[in-house]
Amino acid sequence: MNALRLIIKELLYRKISSLIILFTVIIASAVSVGIYSLSKASENETRKIMREQGLNLYIFPKGTNLIDFYSANNTPCFPENYIHVLAESKTFDAVRHLTGILQVKYPDWKDHNGSSHQILLVGYKDEAMQRFLPEQEIMGTDVVKGTVQVGALVARNIPEGAQFTITGNDGRQYSFDIARRLGEGKGMIDQGVAFNLADLQMLLGMEGKINKIEALGCVCKDGRINNSRKQVQAIFADLEVTEISSIADARENQRLMMNKYGAFIIPFIIISCLLITGFLFYQNINARKYEIGLLKALGNSTGSILMMILAKAFILGLAGAVTGFFAGTLVAEYFGKEIFLFTATSIKPLWNLFWYSLLIFPVLWMLSSWIPALIASQTDAAKVLAEEY
Amino acid sequence: MIELRDITKIYTRGSVTFTALKDISFNINKGDYCTVVGSSGAGKSTLLNIIAGLVHPDSGNIYYNRSDIYQQKAGDLNNYRRKRLGFVFQQFYLMPYLTVAENIRLACHNKQHAGKLDFYLGKFSLSGMGNKYPSELSVGEKQRTAFIRAIISEPEMLLADEPAGNLDPGNRSVLMNLIGEYHKNGGTVILVTHDPSMSEHSNISITLEKGMIQNNTMRVPSTQK
Ligand SMILES: Nc1ncnc2c1ncn2[C@@H]1O[C@H](COP(=O)(O)OP(=O)(O)OP(=O)(O)O)[C@@H](O)[C@H]1O
Ligand SMILES: [Mg+2]
Repeated sequence: MNALRLIIKELLYRKISSLIILFTVIIASAVSVGIYSLSKASENETRKIMREQGLNLYIFPKGTNLIDFYSANNTPCFPENYIHVLAESKTFDAVRHLTGILQVKYPDWKDHNGSSHQILLVGYKDEAMQRFLPEQEIMGTDVVKGTVQVGALVARNIPEGAQFTITGNDGRQYSFDIARRLGEGKGMIDQGVAFNLADLQMLLGMEGKINKIEALGCVCKDGRINNSRKQVQAIFADLEVTEISSIADARENQRLMMNKYGAFIIPFIIISCLLITGFLFYQNINARKYEIGLLKALGNSTGSILMMILAKAFILGLAGAVTGFFAGTLVAEYFGKEIFLFTATSIKPLWNLFWYSLLIFPVLWMLSSWIPALIASQTDAAKVLAEEY
Repeated sequence: MIELRDITKIYTRGSVTFTALKDISFNINKGDYCTVVGSSGAGKSTLLNIIAGLVHPDSGNIYYNRSDIYQQKAGDLNNYRRKRLGFVFQQFYLMPYLTVAENIRLACHNKQHAGKLDFYLGKFSLSGMGNKYPSELSVGEKQRTAFIRAIISEPEMLLADEPAGNLDPGNRSVLMNLIGEYHKNGGTVILVTHDPSMSEHSNISITLEKGMIQNNTMRVPSTQK
């Protein structure tokens, strides 16, 4: 007689109890996966929002007056490859998502009617990969070479379908496809044009130069900004770090809140479900004591009885983990669409989490059946079989 | 084949101790049919469970083919039950979620045993019932299923504790005939009963009273020592 077959037939025979146990795993797994997915989405969402508004840390040459970023076209520059030096440094971990930026005022841009406007040109370098940090999702949309994204106010002065045309430092005309017309209310960028860094450098004859790094400070115990500043200045003494605190705080608060929620709710639900399961398993082995007594009389070992109970918990844990994962992801997708604007469609099954839950839930459920399984395996067959049925 | 030497079993309930068996010694040879009779509480089941390797005696030894079964490793004791013994209980203990065939297969340890399933089903008028569940069986059919489970692995010794306790006279005589037939084919039987009339098939009859042997009769010399 195949042991697995016995386990499955028993499990199907005692349907209600098995279903409740399965249900507890589904709840635990769905809640964990759902909350985790939502908190990931919330994190991404915050990042996206922040990218819209700018990252929380600005790194720029010492002595730069921040106000000049929007009004002057001669703020101090520094070499673009500083970014690579930072990204390649083993000790540099308090700052992430390093994006090199060249931002200059362009005093007389001619629209297609020939009238002149003052606009802001911003070149974005692709986000630097920090080799000694775990890989992370890129935060924003990088501007593709040869294209631009125009702010709402600039867009009004360019007919639909037309290219963006601008005179370069060398007096020649340059044209770019408009990849995106940005919506209104994005702050200074409403009157700005976003370039790929290399395009803007070429246009302005400023090859290899940037005047700002936008980045994200980590959440460190001894203060975001202090830590970041120390680390940056240890490598480049001529750079300064400034924090846009409201954005950083908002991001951090949201993250901490999600984490706090999860840190409370997930263990609470999982432990409740485990207790219910432990109780149901205890009832189950009580109901099966004659079966277990018989199996022992037939010469089955203590270990094989233990395994039989644990295997049942494993099977239910596995089935529940799979079901719960998809249920949790679906729920997260459903609510995510309501809550999040930018990331709504980007809530996808987190496959890493899937493999983890395939491991964690069966193991947890085996643990919760452990004591009942031990009791079952210690059944005194002589005593049990002497009782009246 | 099986040899009991000064077996004593003492049960303790709180501070009260109760001697269920005291200095029990006897031998059973291959092919013997032994009945253990005695009134309720005499210690019959305790004795049978000790022979079955299910209850450790407090003192004394029990040898199966000259090796002390309680001196061996737990795994060997399991194997002793699995390979050497067949059990017939007062209740049938059929798993309600397994079919007749599956219940019987619980006691099969190899393909050879499982291969005999149809033969036994046919022999005990259960052909075609292999896929039925216990709830669909009559008492007699359940009893025969449990009996096939007891003997399908061709155990050397059949242990039966009040096997007919719950049966009507018809089914009782069917069961006694099945046990008799197992014995005739060379099997060793130890049958526990409080009904002295059931010892008629046996060649050894042990009467227990208050945990001690009152009477140990050898009726007919066993033919297959
Ligand atoms: N697990 C136990 N704990 C304590 N006392 C026990 C235990 N098992 C049996 N006894 C006691 O040991 C004595 C012998 O029990 P046993 O079951 O061997 O009697 P029996 O001869 O089989 O009786 P019956 O014919 O009623 O089945 C009884 O008095 C019983 O109460
Ligand atoms: Mg008894």
